[in-house]
Amino acid sequence: MNVQVETPQETAVLELPPETVKLQIKDLNFFYSGKQALFDVSVSFAANAVTALIGPSGCGKSTLLRTLNRMYSLYPGQKATGQVLLDGVDVLGPRVDVAALRARIGMVFQKPTPFPMSIFDNVAYGVRLYEPMSKPDLAIRVEESLRRAALWEEVKDKLKESGLSLSGGQQQRLCVARGIAVRPEILLLDEPASALDPISTARLEETIAELKRDYTIVIVTHNMGQAARLSDHTGFMYLGKLVEFGETEQLFTSPVTTRARDYITGRFG
Amino acid sequence: MTVATGPRLSRRISEGVFLVFCWIATLVAVLALAAILWSLLSQGIGGLDLNIFTKSTPAPGSEGGLLNAILGSLMMCAVAMVAAVIVGILAGTWLSEFARDSYYGKVIRFLNDVLLSAPSILVGLFVYYILVAPLKGFSGFAGAVALALIAAPVITRTTEDVLRLQPVALREASVALGAPMWRTILAVIWKAARAGMLTGALLAFARISGETAPLLFTALNNQFLSLDLTKPTANLPVVIFNFALSAYDDWRRLAWAGAMLIAATVLTVTVVARILAREPNRS
Repeated sequence: MNVQVETPQETAVLELPPETVKLQIKDLNFFYSGKQALFDVSVSFAANAVTALIGPSGCGKSTLLRTLNRMYSLYPGQKATGQVLLDGVDVLGPRVDVAALRARIGMVFQKPTPFPMSIFDNVAYGVRLYEPMSKPDLAIRVEESLRRAALWEEVKDKLKESGLSLSGGQQQRLCVARGIAVRPEILLLDEPASALDPISTARLEETIAELKRDYTIVIVTHNMGQAARLSDHTGFMYLGKLVEFGETEQLFTSPVTTRARDYITGRFG
Repeated sequence: MTVATGPRLSRRISEGVFLVFCWIATLVAVLALAAILWSLLSQGIGGLDLNIFTKSTPAPGSEGGLLNAILGSLMMCAVAMVAAVIVGILAGTWLSEFARDSYYGKVIRFLNDVLLSAPSILVGLFVYYILVAPLKGFSGFAGAVALALIAAPVITRTTEDVLRLQPVALREASVALGAPMWRTILAVIWKAARAGMLTGALLAFARISGETAPLLFTALNNQFLSLDLTKPTANLPVVIFNFALSAYDDWRRLAWAGAMLIAATVLTVTVVARILAREPNRS
């Protein structure tokens, strides 16, 4: 018998040491044309670490991710209040150059989204936007990005072919390469492996683990094994609230909140 | 058992009747098309010779061709298409990428649909009153404007439709890299949709290449070879209209040949458009 007195907490959010924080979210509320989707989310994501966001469908994981690079600003009906501090600067502020912000924050989507252009041009697309560089330099950058995304060996002889000619898994790694080619500081991954087969998923996970040294990574995933394998910190969300956030190991082995425990042990969701 | 065959039999009969009607309707449509093509071919082939492309429309009884009309039609269609493509693609892009389901978007989309089905003779009259009458003269430019007014709504509509087919994720992926919206549209969205957009433009061209009514009030006709679009300009549809109703055999032969030229052009353009439409977005 457990002698410890059970005091199930409603929420439990671990505070990270300030010097390790890259992104700090404060009292974030989010609305889809009036309908609230996030409720007072406050949490910090550590630099050079992987943070996983888990929770049942519709709990707000992707919404949270999309506020971080202001993707929601594309849609007039969507609104966020609160603060998202990137190195101390509020990215939700009105005077933020959204395009420049997005260049600092890479994003990879659920389904592969190669552009209708060559493999080379796909990777060079973002670089050409912000860094005018000579052809040889650009070629070096493209090769380096493809190598880091573990795709170089498979495509080095067909860089001029269309990005659409690749397989699904390769396309997704191409999107990762495209995202890191602009040398962002943060990489947001929105269920990047959900459309991939197990082998492609494994390769993508290796890539992510490798990228962690240089980037702050936030990954939304439905795959709990993936969250456990890849991440340093995990946040569990439910109905638009961040219920529990902590060290991945701790959250998966001894969650503090009842909700997180039920979800992780498979009692709901 | 007999209970079960009752409804089944009646159902089979109604299905049979329905099918027969479908067949008859299809047959009527195909026969009509075949009859048109047959009369075009049988009457037009006799008039088709090299003179068509080398000589201008003749006086009755003398030798001639359709050179002035062919050139006039080409010039007016070209000018009209340039204008219509620019306006149509930009308007379609605005509707798809910016206006979407906003109030103004809905209004413009509705007006465009109205314009799309406006009778072409109305467009001709409209241009007559705003360009021909005030400037006191028929001109090729007025004809091109009338044709552009007919082509632009077609291109606007098809552009919007093919752009809307592009996945949202494609836009977001480009925007997420820090690309501004205009860059995203130019480099990614238009590129992904280019085959469909080209198809729309070709169909608009096929539509205007045979329009007669708008040209009657605007470009009128010209007996002589003229490359000056500020003057009345010869064109195939009006020449066909005039010659086909004439009393002279040689004029009527030329009218048939001209009709065949237009039909062949429309057929070619439509086939090309079909092939292009099949091609895009294969992954």
